[in-house]
This record gives sequence, C-alpha cells and structure tokens, in this order.
Amino acid sequence: MAAVLEIGNLALGYPDLTLFRGLSMDLEAGTTLAVLGANGSGKSTFVKMLLGLVDPLAGRLTWTGGRPREIGYLAQMTEFDRRFPIRVRDLAAMGAWKGFGARGRLDRGMQDKVAAALDAAGVLDIADRSLHSLSGGQLQRALFARVIMQDAPLILLDEPFAAVDQSTEAHLLTILDRWRDEGRVVVLVVHDLSSVLDHCDHALLLGNGEASFGPVRSLLTPERLVSQAYMSRSQADWMFRAETPEAAHV
Amino acid sequence: MFDLLAEMWSYAFMQRAFVATTVLSASVAPVGAFLVLRRLSLAGEAMAHAISPGVVIGFVVAGLSVFSLLIGGLIAGVGAAILTAVLARKTILRSDASLASIYLIALALGIFILSAAGSAVPLKSFLFGSILGIDDASLILVGAVATVTLVSFAVLLRPLIVSTCDPVFFEAQTRRPMLVEQAFMLILVLNLLAAFKTLGTLMAVGLMILPATSARYWSSTITGQLVLSFLFALASSWLGLTLSYLFPETPSGPAIVLTAGGFFLLSVLAGPLGFGLSPRRSVRRRPSALSRSATERTRQ
Repeated sequence: MAAVLEIGNLALGYPDLTLFRGLSMDLEAGTTLAVLGANGSGKSTFVKMLLGLVDPLAGRLTWTGGRPREIGYLAQMTEFDRRFPIRVRDLAAMGAWKGFGARGRLDRGMQDKVAAALDAAGVLDIADRSLHSLSGGQLQRALFARVIMQDAPLILLDEPFAAVDQSTEAHLLTILDRWRDEGRVVVLVVHDLSSVLDHCDHALLLGNGEASFGPVRSLLTPERLVSQAYMSRSQADWMFRAETPEAAHV
Repeated sequence: MFDLLAEMWSYAFMQRAFVATTVLSASVAPVGAFLVLRRLSLAGEAMAHAISPGVVIGFVVAGLSVFSLLIGGLIAGVGAAILTAVLARKTILRSDASLASIYLIALALGIFILSAAGSAVPLKSFLFGSILGIDDASLILVGAVATVTLVSFAVLLRPLIVSTCDPVFFEAQTRRPMLVEQAFMLILVLNLLAAFKTLGTLMAVGLMILPATSARYWSSTITGQLVLSFLFALASSWLGLTLSYLFPETPSGPAIVLTAGGFFLLSVLAGPLGFGLSPRRSVRRRPSALSRSATERTRQ
C-alpha cells in the first residue's frame, strides 16, 4: 500500500530546545501508530506538528495526494470545558460544523449521521443530556462521536484513554479498529504500555533526543525503552520478567 | 403611580432612553452571553475601563460627539487589547494581570484628563451614565452598533460556539483561529461604547454580564442563554430607567445594573442550576447523604 505521509529526517523542538532529530518514517493508509515517550519527550509537539500548529526545526513532511483538508483531532480531556451548555448530540455534530455553513440547519441526512456516530460511540441513549451531567467516560465517548463525524483520513488522538474505565476503553478500541479497517491513519499518543498497543501496528518512541520508529513488537524492547528514558532498568526488568499482560505483546 | 408613568412616557428624552436601552439590550445580550461562556466576564469589565481615556481624549479634542466617542474609544480599546496581548506573550505576566494593570492606568488617566480639562461632561454622568445624555446621534450609534453586532453574530455564531466550547479543537480546525477572537473583542468594544451614554464607563458591562450570568442559572442550551440574556437585559433596562426617573438624583447606570442584580439574585436562588430544586442537584446530593449515614453507622 502506498504511503499517505512521508517524513524525512525530521527534527522537532523549539528555538532553545531540540526534542529529537533524524526521524524518518512512512505511514500507509490503514496504519495505527502509537506514540510513546516520557513526559516532555515531544509527544504532544509531534501531534501539533501534524496539525500544522508547530513547524518542524528541520526535515520534510510530504502528504501524498495533498495534506488532508480535515484532520480528526481529540485533545487531552483535561483541556475541555464541561460546563459549556450544549447537548451530547450537538457536541457530536460539531465534528462536521464546517459543512453546515454559517446559517444552515442540520438536514435529515446529517441528523442520521450524527445518530449513527452517537450509536457507534455508545452514547445514543444520552444524546439529549447536557455535557455537565456526564461522567468522564461518557464525555470521552461523545468526543469520539465527534471524531467519527469529522470523517477524516487522518485521526490524531492525544491520550484518549487516560481518564476512562476499562469497559469504555474496550468500546473505544473497537472504533479504533474500525478506523484502521476503513483505511484511515490513526496516530495515538499513549502514556502507558498496555493492551492498547495490541491495536496498533507501528510505534514511535520518543526520548533522550531520539525518535525510533518501527513495528510495535520489534520496536518496544526493554533495551530501547531504557535507553530512550521511557523507564528505568529496574522497572524494565520487573515488567519484562513478570508474566504481565503488558509484557505479553512485546 | 399611573399618572407618574404616563408623565414619564410623555418626555422625549425618556422615550429616547427606552428605545436606546431596548436596542442596546438586543445588542449586548449575545455579547454578554459569550463573555460569560468564554470565561471573559472580568476581562469585559476591565476593557470597559481601559477605553475610558480614549473616550475622554476624544471629548477633550473633538468635543462631545458620538464620533469622538467612537474613534477615541476604538483606538483605546484596540490599543489596550494589543498591549495586553503583547505583555502576556512577551513578559512574565499572565493576561489577567496585564489587563488589570493596563485598565487601572487607563481608568485613572481617563478621570485625570477629564478633571484636568475641566470638561463640560460632569464626572458623575461619565462614570455612571445619564438618561438625559441620549440624543438622536446616540440613538443612531446604538442602532448602528446593534446592527453590526447582530449581523456579526449571525455569521460568526457557529465558529464562536465551537471556539468557546473547545478552543483546542477549534484551533486545530481553522487556518486563522485568532480571527474569531479578534472580531469578538472588536464587537465587545463597540458595544461598550454604545452603552457608555446610558450606563457610564463604570456600569457599561453590567448590562452584559448580569443578564448573562442570570440566564446561566435557567438554561442549559445556547439558544436559551441568548434569549434569556436578552429578556433579563430588557427587563433590567426598563425597570432601571423607571427607577432612575422616579428618583431623579440616581444616575441611570446604577439603577439599571442594580435591577439586573435583582434578577441575578432571584436566578441564584430560584434557577434550576442555582440553589433551586433541580433533578441533577438532587442526584448529586444523594451520595453525600449515603456517605453521611455510613459514617454515622460506623460511629454507632
């Protein structure tokens, strides 16, 4: 399959701080990429660069077929104002707000699409509830419905499972799998080594000024996780010696 | 009482005041609603004070006219906004501290110039507004600002809602995300200037914020916020103007804002999202009642 996004010799950071340099990778349609790294290693900056909000220090970024007009994006949930007075249904519809025009109303077809997105995210039954009455998991499902509504070829998710329970995570992971099957590129910032990585085919590990890219199973070795300051030697020994589910996939 | 009200309606300046505040209510209501939703309530207040030196310099240089008010106020308002943004971005101060510093200097400067110039405008009406000050030109200003505001909201409503609800998402979706913010600040300054004559510099934001915060206690939708903000603003204006007429020594600004304050108090106490009875609140209280009884059982 042809690459959708080609990155060559990329350096990322700020004028007085280089986060990493020398990253080259090609992402094909239907790729789910996990981005891992210690705090401050450049995970969120990498996402912002893909969004076009931060320019790389060096290197090239080539979109085959042009940069997607629409990029599906879900920021960390802590940045969201839950007291805003709208319903779950309206939040999901926001994903397609550019298509409505300034004054246009949601036609029947769009309302059906919103309902389908809410159903896929498992929040159709609470579609008319206000955001302030939702639990953290329900809000994240509603935000996933918004990403579905964006119908974008590239989807960026910044720590989407940080504040949700296991059952919500499991449900949202099925949506992730569906996106992959539909040929979308999904870039997912993850904080922990967990079963989420089973749903990703490639990983990008940032840390210690380096960026390593490769298939999940061959990339995330104890040696590399330690050398890129993701974890200490003793943590790696414990995690990879014990028969934990976290270790099983590596 | 009815004779008194009939007498009030017979005066041309009162008729103008009622027309001006009615149109003003329609204009400032959506601005106030979004100031509250964007967590800029205090920034709106500070901006009202920040534009005062521009208005005063306009008065002193070009005389007491709507044109001088508009030009002086716009220059000061835009200048204060730019200066605040520069201080917040380039220095250690956060934007609230920058804006507070700018507006305090500006307000003091405005009153200093006003006093030093021995202007024809009495300080009291400058600070608190006067229903006697509303001439035909002021009416035209209010009408023009209301037209610009309502047309702008018709065009900008969706981007405003998206950028207010989720600024990070909005930033990722648009090429020039600051455009909506800048347009909103310009609309805010225009509305503050339109409200100056009736409400004065110190009270201009009152008719924006209090109806909007009152509305917040009653409605969980944007449409509800906008409609209720307008209704509260309208009722406050009319009742406040009547109060100001009945007590001739009271300036119109505080009378209107105090009435809006009455609606706010009522909303806090009776609104479903305030202290009033609402299903959500009673659900939320239940766990604490359970945990209390659990604690009591433990003690026993």
